[in-house]
Order: sequence, then C-alpha cells, then structure tokens
Amino acid sequence: MPEVRIIAKNFMDMVASMPAMKLDKLYENGFICEAILRSLPPLGKKYVLQLLHIDVPVAAKLLEEWVLPDGYTKHRVAIDRLVQLRVFVEAVDRKNDKTYKLNPTFQKSLQQLLVHGGTLPREPMPSNITVRLPNLEDLEAYALQQWECFLLQLISSSLVEKPSNISSSLMKVFQRRLLSQRDKEAPKLTESGFQFLLMETNAQLWYIIREYISNSEERGVDAADLISFMLELSFHVIGEAYNINSLTDFQRSIIRDLADLGLVKLQQGRKESWFIPTKLATNLSVSLADSSSRKEGFVVVETNFRVYAYSTSRLHCEILRLFSKVEYQLPNLIVGAITKESLYNAFENGITAEQIISFLQQNAHPRVADRTPTVPENVTDQIRLWESDLNRVEMTEAYYYDEFPSRDVFEGACDTAREWNGLLWEDSKKMHMVVKTGVHTYVREYLRSQK
Amino acid sequence: MVNAIKGVFISCDIPMAQYIINMNASVPASDKFIIHILDSTHMFVQPQVEQMIRSQIAKFREDNTYVKPN
Repeated sequence: MPEVRIIAKNFMDMVASMPAMKLDKLYENGFICEAILRSLPPLGKKYVLQLLHIDVPVAAKLLEEWVLPDGYTKHRVAIDRLVQLRVFVEAVDRKNDKTYKLNPTFQKSLQQLLVHGGTLPREPMPSNITVRLPNLEDLEAYALQQWECFLLQLISSSLVEKPSNISSSLMKVFQRRLLSQRDKEAPKLTESGFQFLLMETNAQLWYIIREYISNSEERGVDAADLISFMLELSFHVIGEAYNINSLTDFQRSIIRDLADLGLVKLQQGRKESWFIPTKLATNLSVSLADSSSRKEGFVVVETNFRVYAYSTSRLHCEILRLFSKVEYQLPNLIVGAITKESLYNAFENGITAEQIISFLQQNAHPRVADRTPTVPENVTDQIRLWESDLNRVEMTEAYYYDEFPSRDVFEGACDTAREWNGLLWEDSKKMHMVVKTGVHTYVREYLRSQK
Repeated sequence: MVNAIKGVFISCDIPMAQYIINMNASVPASDKFIIHILDSTHMFVQPQVEQMIRSQIAKFREDNTYVKPN
C-alpha cells in the first residue's frame, strides 16, 4: 500500500528547523513572535505567557507542578515544542537540575508587542487614491482563479490558455516532486503529484510555499527574510490596499511571485501602485487543523455511484478524471461515474482510497453536506473493498530458520528479531521462525555469538 | 547448527492461500516453488516467484470480473 509521502508541514516546522542564529534574527520581528505564539499548543501558550516577565531561569520541576498527573503527556509535548522552536532556552543550574527560560529576543519582542500593540510597518492607503478596489467576493474569486490557473499550469502547461508569469525555472522547482519527466514524453504526474492534487487548498498552498522557501536559498534569497515577510503579510487586513513603495526591494521582487500564486492582487492607480492581500495570504499563519476557510463544495455522490460536480473549473474536471469516469461535461455540471476500472486506474497511480473518500467528503456540495454521511456508505465501503481486493496477498522477503540446537537459542533469536521488529512468524513447538531480510544480519550475529 | 533459507514470506487470506497451493500443485516438479506451508494463511516460497504469483492472481481476479459490453 503506498504511503502518503507528501506531508504539508506548516510554517512552524520550517521555522523550527532553522539554525539558531537565523531564528534569533527572526524573533526580532514582533509579528513572527505572535504567529509562533498562536501556533503553540494551549499549554505551550500558557507557559510562555507565564514566563513572559520572569528574567531568571525557572526550574523544570516547578513547571511540572503546574500540571495535573494525567496531563503529563500534554506537558511534555508543549515543552518539547517550545524547546524545538528555541522559544525556551534549556539550561542546567548549580544543583544539576534542568531549568527553562524564555529566549531573550523572543521575550523582548513579545513584551513590546503586548505593551505597544502590533502596528504593521505600513498603513492601508486612503480610499480617494485607491479607486476600483475589488470587494471581498471579487477578491476571493480572483485569488481562487489565480491559484487554479497556477495548479493547472503545474500539472500541464498545455491545459492553460494564459500562462502566468512565474519563471519556468521556478515552475520546475515546484514540479520537481510532482511530475516525472522522461525524455520525449510529456511530463506525467507522479504518485506524490496525485496525492497533492487531492489535498486541501491550504495543504497545497503550504507545500508550494515550502518548496518556494527551500528553493530560495539556492537563488540567493535569505530564507529568514522570506519567512518573516510572509508571516508579516499574513497579519495584513484582507481587502485593504497597501502601497508598494512601502516594501523593500527584496519584498517587491517576492510580491510579483505571490501575485501569480494568488496571495495578493496588484493594482495600479494613476501615480501609485498597491497590493491587496487575499484570503490565501492570511491563511499562511493559520494552523492546518483550522477549517474556518472552507470554500464551497461542489460534488454530489449518489448511491448509484454517479458523481455530479457543479463546477466550471478545468482543474476540478482533471481531478475528477483521476478516479472517476467523466461522462458528460455541461456548461455548469460535470457528470461522471465511479467505476471499478477508474478506481483501479487511480490505485495504480498511487492514490489511496482514503484520499479519494476524504476529497469527496471535503468538497461535498452544500446540499448534501448536511446529510450524514456526506458520501453514501455503500460508495465508501465499495471503494475500500476494491482497494483491499488489490492487496490480498502480502509478500515480504525473508529468511527461514530451523534446526536450532536448543530452546534457549531459539528463544534468544526470536527476541533479537522481535527487538528489531523483524519477526514475521514463529513456531515454538517445531522451533522454526521467519525473519525479515533486513533483520537477518542481526540474528546471524546473535547466533554466532552463541557458539 | 541453525539452518537459514532465503525466500519470500507470504501472508494472505485462506482462499488465496489455497489458490497459491493449487498453483504450486499444477506446476511441474522442477518448478515447484513452495518451500514450507506454515499454516492456513502463511507460507514460505522461493524468492523469484513473487512477480509470477502476483500476475497469476491479477489474471484470476480479472477472469472473475464481469465487464458490461459497451
């Protein structure tokens, strides 16, 4: 069974993996501290706020006393996260006990933020200059359209009539793991590519942004600056215009790429030009589990395995083609059916049944979204059954051991194999066992040591 | 001295296991691939037959599938 290899980690995991000096530089920006604070687990937030104005290291045992005994795992998770993000600085005091203290840069920035309130380095422009400002719905439609155009272009440049201005080298970076190119053939979607298409928009956005940031180092752009600009952007107000002149040169070059992705909309007045952040931009600092930005679903699945998608988007048509047989395409409706062949096709391409089902559930049309279950159970069950039908036999390369001299040696070898998670089967009566190939060397060493 | 044989460990459901055993029985003596039958759902076979077993099972599955003529 193919594993989900695409994991959309959010910003915070990226931030956590940065070296200490860069992290300290990041923490000088109050907005980043606020964004990190928001992303912490609830216990973590509490600890940060409680230690915010304490300058001396606090003993770890004292922190543990704040928690009830059954909350200990949550406590450990929060502390590990705080240390990983270098918000907490670990030290050992004279009695050799562990102590924690807030990172001083972080502490100062957060204190300033609390006292002075967060002010963005730029103000929205007055409305007499910004004419033709789009209203929120138009803005969202624009963002969605740009994002879809980008995704279509990502999959296949032949599907798009008006290619965006993203440089082809940048496109190649995004396509690196999603498409596989063999010479003379058109690029084909890889397994990760299929899984990517079925993910939620937020998850897709993070994947792209993460690739963009990891690639930025190669292009000579500092990742820390990029991250700090994006987090700052996420605190702007949707729909308000901000002057482009208030951006540094570096930020100006980034804003063009972001406009192509649909995170901001660029507009030009008579003398000034400005950018308007869209919902996609403000979603950058939101955690993955937050589902407040649910866009309207469009798929109705019926008990006779027919799929009706009320959408005009080509991207949706392509996605549905991944696992269902699209039969008709009407001006506002795509009609298809989920068949065994279409599903087998999807499974061969590396999509799992769970991904298909969660895609159908997440994009359910509002008319059926209130019904439980949103997708009929006979359809979900049948999809899972068809998938398991393909995997009836499990084969593992292994070694078969027999003729053990004594029971103790047999038990010892079994235990060794079990430790390395390689014991596939054993028969204690006949003293035979089967061990995975990877673990064979360890068992052989153990047997040699027994002689 | 402990004896180690290299091969492939198969884990499946009972009908599939019977099918594989039947496949083994219908093959000439020099090609027989099952080394040990461990229990009703597990067996140990020779290493190179993995692909052959998979394709035979796929063929068996397709033979049992009805496709509506278009």
